Amino acid sequence: MSKKDFPKKILIHTGIILFLILNMYPLIIALSSSLRSPNNMTSPLNLFNEFTLESYKLAFERMNFSRSLLNSLILTIISVAFVVVVTSMSAYPMARIKSNVSKFLYLFFLSGLIVPGQMVIIPIVQMIKGLHIPSTQFTPILMFVTCSIPFSSFLYTGFIKASVPEEMEEAAYLDGAGLFRRFWIIVFPLLLPATVSVIITQGMWIWNDYFFNLIFISKSSQTPLPLAMLGFMGDKENPTQWNTLFAACFLCALPLILAFGVLQKYFMSGLASGAVKG
Amino acid sequence: MNSSVMKRSMYLFVLPALIFYLLFWIFPILKIFQYSVSDYNGFVQKFNYIGMDNYISLFKEGVLVNSIKNTLIYTAVFVLFGNIFSLCLAFILNMNIAGKGVYRSVAYIPTLFSAIVVGFIWSYVYMPDSGLISSVLKAIGIDGSDFNPLGVGTTALYAIVFVEIWKNIGTNTIIFLAGLQTIPNELIEAGKIDGCSSWKLTRYVRIPLLAASITINVTLSVVNGLKAFDYPFIMTNGGPGTATNTLIFKIFKYAYNEQLFGKASALGVVAFTIIIIITGILVMNLRKKEVSL
Repeated sequence: MSKKDFPKKILIHTGIILFLILNMYPLIIALSSSLRSPNNMTSPLNLFNEFTLESYKLAFERMNFSRSLLNSLILTIISVAFVVVVTSMSAYPMARIKSNVSKFLYLFFLSGLIVPGQMVIIPIVQMIKGLHIPSTQFTPILMFVTCSIPFSSFLYTGFIKASVPEEMEEAAYLDGAGLFRRFWIIVFPLLLPATVSVIITQGMWIWNDYFFNLIFISKSSQTPLPLAMLGFMGDKENPTQWNTLFAACFLCALPLILAFGVLQKYFMSGLASGAVKG
Repeated sequence: MNSSVMKRSMYLFVLPALIFYLLFWIFPILKIFQYSVSDYNGFVQKFNYIGMDNYISLFKEGVLVNSIKNTLIYTAVFVLFGNIFSLCLAFILNMNIAGKGVYRSVAYIPTLFSAIVVGFIWSYVYMPDSGLISSVLKAIGIDGSDFNPLGVGTTALYAIVFVEIWKNIGTNTIIFLAGLQTIPNELIEAGKIDGCSSWKLTRYVRIPLLAASITINVTLSVVNGLKAFDYPFIMTNGGPGTATNTLIFKIFKYAYNEQLFGKASALGVVAFTIIIIITGILVMNLRKKEVSL
């Protein structure tokens, strides 16, 4: 780096930092307000003029945080596990067999990406009753898995085509391994990067989704985090409730922020590889 | 490769996904076509077929034109500004500067928040009198007493699109950054030796080579824009008046607030048709462009 570059660099850094502060300003204000006591009504612009966890305590109780967190974890983990198994399997023949059938299946799944879940849901509630599937806290899993099929099988198919050589399977075939074993023992472990990508992208939207939960879950003991947040809906118009509301917002976002902090690398590459492989 | 290794019985592997997909995605879509010509209300299982009445009343009440218009504006603004912002940000964060990893992470943070949390926080930002923007205006001495973007019909739609853009910048930027990293360095160096300005390098080397990422981002934004639901639901409830009624939000409202499942389905059929036509045209055009570049 030469000396004349120095002022230019300072300028660039200042520009970026200013932009990011502006971009993050709503979150910064919300964070600062959430750290005040619930009845501190001074202007939120005085950043961090109080530090207490009282609002968090209140929000924690109101959204039944530990219960909701557990519900969210259960829903997300089960759904994502199903997505990984179901879609990696479905991608295998679509990537390996070169025929019109497999091409059709690929496009058939992919086209599902454009259909909004809010539309599909109209007949589903009736259908689920018709099929005698009980409406429990696990019912949304059906929709989470279904909604994840288009993108995940698309991603897996691209990955198998590009990075899992057929020759590896040939050896196993000669050793007498059946299709099932060949897939689970040889192919599936090689899909790890794609699996990480699927876990991150699908796990994130499933974790944050409130819509399908809203439709199927009615017991308060079964609500996951985003649905518990809906209970604060009325408070967003009411300035006296904001400190608690913001505390609830951060409680709701905290698990993903922590996960992002630890697994940053995977979040970034997971998203990117999903896009580039297409 | 020996064809007996890749047997047709492999298709069995598609079955679980196919069953889920047909049962909970394709079948309901067909069902919507059936409901759309009925007076089904969601409770009474006996319903009558009433022909095109649902469609006609949607059109006569102005719902059709209004919600299509809102959805198209929402999508256009989201696609255009969302991608321009994030492309610029990606170029900046792709520069060889210290701490770019930290900057990238920070830029990504809004993406982590659930739409519902984002909706709450931005409701506060836009709040008249005591909201964030009003307070800042007051603090710098501007009278912001009639600043109320969500309460005014002409601005509400743009105000909620802005929230959508804000939430999605992180994802779009990451995808553009991934695309930028696939551009071979030699190409940029060669351009520099030939005396290209950095603008020319961007315009004639980087952007054409980003075609794949641009296709992905534009397609994803169009699809998500046409599905717009979260912020009308959380922030405006479609209002004021009908200013932020998007297609999907209106469908939801018909079905769950007014128990008009038939009408909701008719609007669903319209939405479905529009989405298919627009994404179809888009994908074909972008494919052609990508090849010719």
